[in-house]
Amino acid sequence: MSTPGPRSLAEALRLRDDASLAALLRARPDLITPVPSDLTQLATRAGTRASVVRALERLDRFALQTAEALAVASDPASYDELLGLMTGDEGDPKVTAALPRAVATLREQALVWGGEDRLRLVRTARELLAPSPQHPSPTGLGPTVQEATAGMSPGRIQEIVVTAGLASTHDSVSAVAALTGLFNDRGRMAALLAEAPAQSREVLERLVWGPPYGQVTAEPAAHLRHLLDRGLLLPTAPGTVVLPREVALHLRGGRAHRTTEPLPPAPEPTAVHRPQVVDATAAGQAYTALATVEELLKDWDEGGPAVLRAGGLSVRDLKRTAVALDVSEPVAAFWVELAYAAGLLASDGEADERYAATPAYDEWLEQPAAQRWARLAQTWLTATRTPGLVGGRDAKDRALSALGPGLDRSAAPEVRHRVLTLLAGLPEGAAPSPDSVLDRLRWERPLRGPQQDDDLRARLARWTLTEAELLGVTGRGALSGHGRALLGAPAPTGAAKKGGGREAAESGTATAGPSRPRVDDNGPGDKLPVHHTPVVVEPLSPPEQAVASAAAARLLAPLLPEPLDHVLLQADLTAVAPGPLQRPLADMLDVLADVESKGGATVYRFTPGSVRRALDAGRTASDLHAFLAAHSRTPVPQPLAYLIDDVARKHGHLRVGAASAYVRCDDDALLNEIMADKRAASLRLRRLAPTVLATQADPATLLDGLRAMGFAPAAESADGDVVITRPDAHRTPPRAAPEPVPDGPPTPDATLLTAAIRAIRAGDLASTTPRKQPPSATAPTGALPRTSSAETLATMQAAVLTGEALWIGYVNAEGAASQRVIAPIRVEGGFVTAYDHTADEVRTYPLHRVTGVAELADET
Amino acid sequence: MNGPLIVQSDKTLLLEVDHEQADECRRAIAAFAELERAPEHIHTYRVTPLGLWNARAAGHDAEQVVDALVQYSRYPVPHALLVDVAETMDRYGRLTLSKHPTHGLVLTTTDRPVLEEVLRSKRIAPLVGARIDPDTVAVHPSERGQIKQTLLKLGWPAEDLAGYVDGEAHPIELNEDGWALRPYQKQAVENFWHGGSGVVVLPCGAGKTLVGAGSMAQAKSTTLILVTNTVSARQWKHELVKRTSLTEDEIGEYSGTRKEIRPVTIATYQVLTTKRKGVYPHLELFDSRDWGLIVYDEVHLLPAPVFKFTADLQARRRLGLTATLVREDGRESDVFSLIGPKRFDAPWKEIEAQGYIAPADCVEVRVNLTDSERLAYATAEQEEKYRFCATTDTKRKVTEAIVRRFAGQQILVIGQYIDQLDELGEHLDAPVIKGETSNAQREKLFDAFREGEISVLVVSKVANFSIDLPEATVAIQVSGTFGSRQEEAQRLGRVLRPKADGHQAHFYSVVARDTIDQDFAAHRQRFLAEQGYAYRIVDADELLAEG
Repeated sequence: MSTPGPRSLAEALRLRDDASLAALLRARPDLITPVPSDLTQLATRAGTRASVVRALERLDRFALQTAEALAVASDPASYDELLGLMTGDEGDPKVTAALPRAVATLREQALVWGGEDRLRLVRTARELLAPSPQHPSPTGLGPTVQEATAGMSPGRIQEIVVTAGLASTHDSVSAVAALTGLFNDRGRMAALLAEAPAQSREVLERLVWGPPYGQVTAEPAAHLRHLLDRGLLLPTAPGTVVLPREVALHLRGGRAHRTTEPLPPAPEPTAVHRPQVVDATAAGQAYTALATVEELLKDWDEGGPAVLRAGGLSVRDLKRTAVALDVSEPVAAFWVELAYAAGLLASDGEADERYAATPAYDEWLEQPAAQRWARLAQTWLTATRTPGLVGGRDAKDRALSALGPGLDRSAAPEVRHRVLTLLAGLPEGAAPSPDSVLDRLRWERPLRGPQQDDDLRARLARWTLTEAELLGVTGRGALSGHGRALLGAPAPTGAAKKGGGREAAESGTATAGPSRPRVDDNGPGDKLPVHHTPVVVEPLSPPEQAVASAAAARLLAPLLPEPLDHVLLQADLTAVAPGPLQRPLADMLDVLADVESKGGATVYRFTPGSVRRALDAGRTASDLHAFLAAHSRTPVPQPLAYLIDDVARKHGHLRVGAASAYVRCDDDALLNEIMADKRAASLRLRRLAPTVLATQADPATLLDGLRAMGFAPAAESADGDVVITRPDAHRTPPRAAPEPVPDGPPTPDATLLTAAIRAIRAGDLASTTPRKQPPSATAPTGALPRTSSAETLATMQAAVLTGEALWIGYVNAEGAASQRVIAPIRVEGGFVTAYDHTADEVRTYPLHRVTGVAELADET
Repeated sequence: MNGPLIVQSDKTLLLEVDHEQADECRRAIAAFAELERAPEHIHTYRVTPLGLWNARAAGHDAEQVVDALVQYSRYPVPHALLVDVAETMDRYGRLTLSKHPTHGLVLTTTDRPVLEEVLRSKRIAPLVGARIDPDTVAVHPSERGQIKQTLLKLGWPAEDLAGYVDGEAHPIELNEDGWALRPYQKQAVENFWHGGSGVVVLPCGAGKTLVGAGSMAQAKSTTLILVTNTVSARQWKHELVKRTSLTEDEIGEYSGTRKEIRPVTIATYQVLTTKRKGVYPHLELFDSRDWGLIVYDEVHLLPAPVFKFTADLQARRRLGLTATLVREDGRESDVFSLIGPKRFDAPWKEIEAQGYIAPADCVEVRVNLTDSERLAYATAEQEEKYRFCATTDTKRKVTEAIVRRFAGQQILVIGQYIDQLDELGEHLDAPVIKGETSNAQREKLFDAFREGEISVLVVSKVANFSIDLPEATVAIQVSGTFGSRQEEAQRLGRVLRPKADGHQAHFYSVVARDTIDQDFAAHRQRFLAEQGYAYRIVDADELLAEG
């Protein structure tokens, strides 16, 4: 380690300890899928374009700005040069304080390596971030003098050098170096620019913050000529000139960025509510959420909407659902998607495919309210389904429908979690403005390229805020107590300090700053427990989430209203349930009366139709009277009793047979009445007996016809019993809830990480350990060892005795050759059993597949 | 959290009346929520944009409304609803109509984009004049009502600060000897006068005429009173002469028969809306004097053309009187924008509790049709069905039985169909008042009824409104105008005038069972049930057996 520093990324990785490798792999899990065989391979993979792009996209704004600055710095660059680029000549204490953290982050992610004096950005990142005519850099800087003069004739270069006031040299390379030296020297450069006419300086001013390219005519004006002659502008193509990077940096006072953002913007609370109010509001909304999902699925009990051929719910069905739930369409889409993601509804998979509740829904219904909510909330938090997209169009301009394909967005769970974590960072009861939350998110995960207002993450964040409110995770915009528990976040007092061991460890992964930035002490939000460092609380693992959800349910349970066992009956034929009702009571009332208004209370209205429905469901008038008397806090009003008796008196008075379709009635006057009615003509009724009518029409038509005429006939079975028409709820076969679709491989857990690192290290040991040259020294270094089979056997047997490790060449069944380091344990029957350092396990190899064997060089 | 109020997601408020905080809460929410139903246990209020703007017009702000909801609510109030309340209330007053010293009537805004938005509307464009400055635009004075109406429809109600003309002064005093305005009447007059223009909602029999008289005494100016019919006009005149310093000569009647224009003129809606050769010849009445006050009796019946004329009268004070703001045509918002917001409202039961209207026993008598009647009913043409079941013979027997039971008391029999009434009149040996009865004859009969010379009077729907029959204690309704809720309320009002001996009033509704008559009755009764008048149901057979 006393060497001048690592010479490659692989070497730099080799120098890192396990914890720091684990941090790298956690931040970039794509690197270990599949597990690389050694650190060289890891380094190669870390340098691939796809992986680097992915890593860059996950940097916060300041780290990205640092990487961009490194991309325009010399390669390698010293820390001081980088600091100069970030702060400019004047210096900026905040940037100075924040930079170590940013560099540490870049190092940790293996985007930067090398000692403090030789910081190197990995080549791919440099290519991605360095300015080129096709991809102008976000810094607005152009190419260096050296790059820009690459194709220039030596004569022209000499002319420029001389005009700029330097001595001519005998070759272009030294001329360019001299020119670069001049441009980098603030004093001489100032003098050079002072000579330039004012117009020329204006031209430079226009280009200084980029884009650095300008158009010139074939015969440039004098002030442009002046600049071109001194190399202050260099031609790139006919008619195009560029401001060399060194000149721009001089004009910018050394700054690579016009503005740097070393500190994350803190989400500002716009209102602070009492925590009790927040919790109560959220609990109220949580209750509404449960009621809405139940109502939705009950609505679909008798045949839900059809599944579109392309999958999903038609716009009309969504509209209808929205009307039924009395919410707007986007909100209806949210509930539908939530129920789907929670596995409560699915397609029934029949020929005429329809959506319906799953058996899981029935189980869910049986659970206590708080647990039902926890299931919904947990589903929402981890789902990749994104209801906010419903109604929009995909890249191919196809409409995105609710429950349809194309709604999965892998960023959704992460954004939801992040937004809620930000809320959790605020004091209890504080509601931030959505814009300040968005600002913060943009800082943490800036888009490369131009900023847009409605990029996916911003939209996801906005949806998260509204959905959290709908679901009762937040109340009045502030995170509720149970919402906090759902995140697994500690109580707010603890959150201020982030004292939890788990979180401290994780915040270390992102901040990783050996020195916690000093700005925390003088930051503007010092008094608020707002994090100035981007603390990334990782989403919980499924078992942890289950624990957190259960905790949330426990917190929520006492806040939910207790179901009541009574209603208030009134003379205007309404019943008011002044709170949620116990399930059997609610079910019965739903049949017996129509719901008129919902919310904290429910207003039911009794109508002849609703009473008939109850009678149709097999209740008798006396049942209904007893039911009302038992559950009413107030005497049953006389008009209501009359209504029930009236309907009951008429109910079933007429009986309609299914098999032969007949009407029978003891009262022949009534049959006369029917026969005389013109509207009965279409039913083609025929009088069988004074009390019986028959028809060719099917019973349903007959029933409808008679009801339309104002009668209340009852259907009759073959045995003469009244057929009870109580609808059965429609269910799908058992269905699994859709799996979230994560972006990239899952974050590896500790076991996998340890195993991966051991494997990589072992592979590395195999490939890098110096080997003893075989005595014959015939095999060139690096090739598979080749020895005769007798020699192989002998060496192996010797190794068993000495316990030494051997380096073998091995060809597997597919004929692929590999090198392995093994410690033979046993040699018998044409097989060698050995501990394989490469695979980190004991394996058995057939000796005939071993191409050769070599002893390892002695370790020095 | 154990308040008396439950806030529903459909913006209705349920108030538990037996709760100890119920009164307090009622006062707090009455300012912005409309009482929709007031049955015995739970009253239902509704929060509407109109109600919220009414509250803004009365000087309440969104914070007070939100506070009231949050304070009394039993369950957490949905955040979205609170936001909606604040946003809705915020829309009021962004635009104001006011008098500009040089440009006359102007529409000004505190929020320029709103002004831009409304000016872009095709319906607003013809009503405004030149743009005076970015925030101000001139309005043709004649379009003051029109623009208010249109702005309300666009959802940006304008606050009308342009004030009123005083009108031609005329001395009017209340003549309070031996009687005085009741506290709620005083309150109503005060609220109206303070607000400038608006509607007072009081139950039938609660003395709306006196609120009108009180307002006139406040205004002390020439007054135009618009009433539903001639009988009602005479009633007003009679009452005004009795209760105020006005004399017979100062009060003119402008009706089909007489065309007098005096300092106080009482005109009927009918004469105003009479159209000859495509024009309304009597419209000039509005301009014939410099009226300081216009009173609209039974404002819920205001015919559509009168709305149009009213739009032109925005500079005059307007008082609307009604028992119910329920309009079967749903034009409540026109009443709001053209007459004014609701200034006073009291639940019927509350006034009954104070003893100002008589307690009433409402009974629905269910009559069974005979078999032959049922057959005839089933075969009747659709449009004849109601007439058939409403005029069934059985009803006559029941009516006679009721009349017998209350023999000696003042009884009104009210119906829709003249044949039925004539027949009833014959059987009961009672005079019949119907459309063709001359006004002189009507007044004679009413006087006789009032004096107790005759105790049973059969009336058609001409008697629905505004006839003062103080001693009627029993009303029997045999048929009505289909399902009209306000007719039912008016008819009940006939018996609600406080009785000299303080005894109960009876309101009987005779209904044919299992017919559309019963369906209509249910619809009609709903309004009263919602006002707390619960119906008892009695079988005709029972009643006849007792009788």
